[in-house]
Amino acid sequence: MDYDALKTLHSSAAPFTPLVPVSLLPALALILLSATFVLAFYFSTLPKNAIPLKEVAVASTASILGGFGVVALFCTAGVYV
Amino acid sequence: MPMKWASVPLALLLSVTSALCGSSSFENTAIVRTVELGGAVVHVTTTTALKTYTVALGKADREKTSLVEAKVKGQDKLLSYTERVEKDVSLFDVTLPKPLAGNKTVNIVFENIQTHATTPWPETAEQRDDQGLKYTTGLFVLSPYSTLVQRTKLKALVPRFKSYTEPKNVDAFVGDAAVTKAGATVVYGPYKDIPASTNANFIEKYQQPITVHYYHEQPVLEVRTLKRAVEISHWGANINTQDDITLYNAGPKLKGHFSRLEHQMQGYMNKPAPHILPALNLGLPPGIRNAYYYDTIGNVSTSKLRVAPLAPKGAQRSQFSLLELRPRYPLLGGWNYSFTLGWDAPLESSAAYDKKTGTYTVSVPILTPIPGAVVTDEELQIILPEGATDVNYALPFPALSAEIGTHVTFLDTVGRPSITLRYKNLTVKNAQDIYVTYKVSTLAHIKKGLNVAAAVFILFALGGIARRVDLSITPRKKKVQ
Repeated sequence: MDYDALKTLHSSAAPFTPLVPVSLLPALALILLSATFVLAFYFSTLPKNAIPLKEVAVASTASILGGFGVVALFCTAGVYV
Repeated sequence: MPMKWASVPLALLLSVTSALCGSSSFENTAIVRTVELGGAVVHVTTTTALKTYTVALGKADREKTSLVEAKVKGQDKLLSYTERVEKDVSLFDVTLPKPLAGNKTVNIVFENIQTHATTPWPETAEQRDDQGLKYTTGLFVLSPYSTLVQRTKLKALVPRFKSYTEPKNVDAFVGDAAVTKAGATVVYGPYKDIPASTNANFIEKYQQPITVHYYHEQPVLEVRTLKRAVEISHWGANINTQDDITLYNAGPKLKGHFSRLEHQMQGYMNKPAPHILPALNLGLPPGIRNAYYYDTIGNVSTSKLRVAPLAPKGAQRSQFSLLELRPRYPLLGGWNYSFTLGWDAPLESSAAYDKKTGTYTVSVPILTPIPGAVVTDEELQIILPEGATDVNYALPFPALSAEIGTHVTFLDTVGRPSITLRYKNLTVKNAQDIYVTYKVSTLAHIKKGLNVAAAVFILFALGGIARRVDLSITPRKKKVQ
């Protein structure tokens, strides 16, 4: 692409804004990972049924929370992923 | 063969009138070539006039040239040019903004930067000795048109010259003296009525190399290799820049041994030797944080960073953060020092988002300029977020090579797209920005969290299986219903 065109596009477009404000990330990491820990503990107390419906449900929510919690944790620690 | 260091800017000021008759050729009314002698960088400017004016550079000068710029004197707009080689002479056909009518004059400034153009002489020096550098160029400014008057000025930083060549066989052009010295400038000329000089005849008969041997009071620095990695993170709204620098002192090599006592005494008496580098000051972008500076041994604590406040995007970037680096040892002539320097900056300062097309645009500086130093080899790697598509980039000047590859780092599954560019012989004038555009859909952005969630789910699944495995020696008693 033309250098000058890109340069004007860059100066005219709005500055970058993240999906989640960076200042919230440490708090978010703490909340999400604590929730993951609690759910993991609850998972360990669930009855062992033949069809593990409840276990899968709890594990899924814990994974989602844990997944985003880990990403927030990495950013808090300074490893910007 | 002695290695040539430092870059020299050359300015050629050519004042040209177009001839009346139908041959429509140019005539140089006045050529002034100013050479600013430096350590690693020599600045050459030449000025002339006409429509497609052809500027010539001798073979030796062309080999050392890393950057060429042509513009009309007093204006900022750069003129386009095409280069062709005829035998030993490189010809640059510069397109003038407006064709020049008969008998009119225009002044063109032709600037080029030469790198690795000066040699330390004597090649070895003791710790307290002076630093002398030699610069060689052709005596005459070659031109395919005739010239009325021509002069070459070589300016050094300090008015101390050891020697300069006395040109021979120039009586046909000379007025009073072939070469004069005034203060910190050596002037070759004025030479009058020079015919078209890009033919073998003239070059053989009159063109001769002139060498200026001058004292230079600053260390001659060369960055042998620069590896810059710029990583963009959307989750952390952060842009991390990391430079792996191999610094080389291209001055006279140390003769004898290095005495720490003598070095301390020099610092105490405030009479530092001109070729020793005790510390380096770098201008980093404003608003940076988490800066780190380490070398092969470990963290280097002898540094001080003063961060400049970040101006809002779009405002003129006026201030630089100052980083004073003090390497573990002073850099003497011929010594190397490798270190890694990195910092984080908020992504808002470099990236922009265009809502209409959904494209992100990032500006990436090519290098952090070290005044007077030349970067011999640079590898610039721009790492974009995972899942970036439609990657495009625009370079301010052509690179040696450019390729798009994949870079794998923390929490990656498929890897991130990365652009690798290679450059050669960069100077302070090349410290410009590269613009990169790419798209990252929200789904691709969220995928990172989902990938980690999948890994955590696998752990839960393994836990679920582990709960059901009975490893006890005696079978567990079944619960009484």
